[in-house]
Amino acid sequence: MKRFGWQWRAVSSLLLTASLIRSGAAEIRPQYGGTVHVAMREAPISLDPNDTTQADSFARRNLLALIFETLVTVDDRGRMRSGLAVDWQAAPGNQRWQFHLRRGVKFHDGSSLTAEIAASSLRMANPSWKVFAEADSVIVECEHGDADLPAALALTRNSIVKKQGGGKLSGTGPFYIEDWQPGKKLTLGAEENHWRGRGFVDAIEIEMGRNFHEQLNELELRKADLVEVAPEQAHRVAIEGCRVSSSQPVELVALVFSGDPKTADDKLLRSALARSIDRSSMKSALLQGAGQPAASLLPNWMSGYGFVFSSDADLKQARQLRDQVRTAANWTLGYDANDSVARLLAERVALNAKDADLVLQPTTAATVDLRLVRIPLASADPWIALAYVAGTLGMSMPNARGESMEDLYAAEFALLAEQRVIPLFHLPEEYATAPTLKDWGLAKDGSWRLDEVWMAKDKP
Amino acid sequence: MRLASCNSPWVSKPILILLSVLLWCCSLLANAASSWNEPTQQLARKIVAVTGPGAVGVIVENRSSLSKKDFDTISGILRVNLEALGARPAQPEQAAATAAVWLSENPRFYVWVAEIHQGAAESTVVIVTVPRGDEAELADDSMPMSLRKIPLWTQEGRILDVLVLQEDGTPRQIAVLDGERVAIYRLMNSKWQQEQSLSITHLRPWPRDLRGRMLAAKDHLLDVYLPGVFCRSSSALPLALNCRESDDPWPLVAPPPVTFPSFGGAPAVQPLGAFFSATRNFFTGALTPGVGRLTAVGKFYSAAPLPRDKYVLWLFLGTDGQVHLVDGITDQAAKPGWGSAVASVKTACGANWQVLATGVGENMTDSGADSVRAYEIADRDPAPVSAALEFSGEITALWTEAKGDSAIAVVRNLETGDYEAFRLAVACSQ
Repeated sequence: MKRFGWQWRAVSSLLLTASLIRSGAAEIRPQYGGTVHVAMREAPISLDPNDTTQADSFARRNLLALIFETLVTVDDRGRMRSGLAVDWQAAPGNQRWQFHLRRGVKFHDGSSLTAEIAASSLRMANPSWKVFAEADSVIVECEHGDADLPAALALTRNSIVKKQGGGKLSGTGPFYIEDWQPGKKLTLGAEENHWRGRGFVDAIEIEMGRNFHEQLNELELRKADLVEVAPEQAHRVAIEGCRVSSSQPVELVALVFSGDPKTADDKLLRSALARSIDRSSMKSALLQGAGQPAASLLPNWMSGYGFVFSSDADLKQARQLRDQVRTAANWTLGYDANDSVARLLAERVALNAKDADLVLQPTTAATVDLRLVRIPLASADPWIALAYVAGTLGMSMPNARGESMEDLYAAEFALLAEQRVIPLFHLPEEYATAPTLKDWGLAKDGSWRLDEVWMAKDKP
Repeated sequence: MRLASCNSPWVSKPILILLSVLLWCCSLLANAASSWNEPTQQLARKIVAVTGPGAVGVIVENRSSLSKKDFDTISGILRVNLEALGARPAQPEQAAATAAVWLSENPRFYVWVAEIHQGAAESTVVIVTVPRGDEAELADDSMPMSLRKIPLWTQEGRILDVLVLQEDGTPRQIAVLDGERVAIYRLMNSKWQQEQSLSITHLRPWPRDLRGRMLAAKDHLLDVYLPGVFCRSSSALPLALNCRESDDPWPLVAPPPVTFPSFGGAPAVQPLGAFFSATRNFFTGALTPGVGRLTAVGKFYSAAPLPRDKYVLWLFLGTDGQVHLVDGITDQAAKPGWGSAVASVKTACGANWQVLATGVGENMTDSGADSVRAYEIADRDPAPVSAALEFSGEITALWTEAKGDSAIAVVRNLETGDYEAFRLAVACSQ
């Protein structure tokens, strides 16, 4: 010690003091035990991943991923990862796929995962697929070559579910269903023998049907550890001292016409509407700076080329296009009555359209000419995400020449050229968490990593 | 002209080092440029396929995380390639065609996009993708000692421990432990090649925060300690790994006793084993043979010895978030704000023994990225003796190497998700 002078001792004392001040933040290994309390807006009445009557949302997908698992998973960079299948291979032409199942996986009811059960579950979710078991493998045969089949198998609807008598569902996920009050509350318990190891927390309790305001109150009162935050409120919530985590922009907000343009005039009017929308002012005034203005279906972070589709308003060109048509129809613009931001956006779109001499009437009626929709992107794999958007909008995915980014661009360009959809924004998923919730991670694609969290026993 | 050689008495060592560094830098620059060559040529070909030869106005913009240096390199190569293909660079207003080129990116690729305008025709978009690599990072310090990290191994899957089996200044043969196997690699012609992969058999699922340790053995290659499982390699080639369910204690000090070069008569650290929970991520606290009279401490994640003149002070990082300083008679708890991994190293710096402890990263207080800092403990109070060495993610393992003067750290890179193993060494700064 004598070789160091008083100077470094002074510096070291300062550093030690600094490290002591930060002591509450030092990372330690995960601790076992405790219950995580989650609140969410959605109020699903079914936990069946195959139930298409339930609205798709990030909350529902994340919740189901705690209970059920898929053969393959896609990470937030769009890379395939093994799930219940340890590996897979395609025959030349990508028409026949073989997925080798992981051994020793058990359902929550104690029974073993078999290729027969997995194949049956996939058949149920995809009646048009030819799926069968072969030894410890699941074989999927497609009508046409499909290089993206593994990524499609990572979708929630393709979770492996064992259906028992009385509609009871069993999965292989890290948590089992302890108590289920449809639309109200779900309690999950940690599966002791999960193949990736038991989760750190003992239980997860999910309260459903809570609006954003109620959720934040519950977080403040320490009744909830993880709550959703509206993107337009995220900045304010963070300023107020809450820990807020954001995904990349993963939800598409768009205007969708009820049908294809029927005439050349109709095409011109749709172009005029698209050019009239001032997304930048909507972002700053209505979304409080959240989200990314978009004229593409896929967000730029996912494709890398989204900026090529210009989202800038061009009122002059909008008027020129409008002026080429003698009479314009009065369009009705539908929005979800329970979505306050959707109402504001619809009203602003109508105002912008009026500046281009177009008439749009915002309404909550069921039958409308065009509708403001929110579409949660299905995957970080851009091909799957685009196919999902197309499917949700009732459009056919164009046949791609290949699998390159240029082919993806061409497919997206072709979808937009149909003039059925006008993208407005890509919004992130936002969550606020209690300080005692540790190792909470929100993936870029909006996936929770709730099976990895643990609860700090001491209050920080 | 006489060429300088290593034996030349008139060329001083610093000059040789400087020359080597310059050569190394030149080769790095050349490599960087060459790695951009092919995709840039491809983009140039695609642009010229649309515009044809002639005057083309080209504007290049960086919309990615590429550095300015890389951006300038790529822009330069693109212009050279366009010219070589007959597309003469011109001001956009004087050109028959213009190409707006954006160097963009997505999570997996650099995405280079060119939007080409020709007269009143609709624009054409061409795209080239380049797989993204990882970025290196540097650490600096201003303390009496500095910590150096030497990359050993990176892989997508989990790394529990890395054992250097052979080295001659740099590692030549290493063993990498994950939950399912021990992979042995040898450095051949500057490339690591897998020599063997030894499967680990286990009946029960591993705990989620799996931990494991490898130790070199005297009469065979290595032993592997995992929760509830012990594996022993064979001694003869080809190697085999025999695993069995076991609750044997894990050695906290590599047996036989590690005797370091004597510094002031410090005693060797006697072997100490600790029992590890088969279903969790911590040591149960039961010790064998014990520290002095104490045969049990609280549950802990990590431990490190600090030899004193007449005894060994053991540091246990408890699951209660405290550091327990145990000297065989007393157990004194402190909260210095460390993480849950600690290792001690014997060096020629300072008081000769330093403790390496993890903590949250200086620059990323809420990101989950960790750092390691060296401390000395004069009595019972830790004093930092190095700057914090930042890592790209959470440190999942920190073990002292058998020779005692360095440690192995395993990090899970927050950005890539990959696991990266480093050797950590202490360097004396003064």
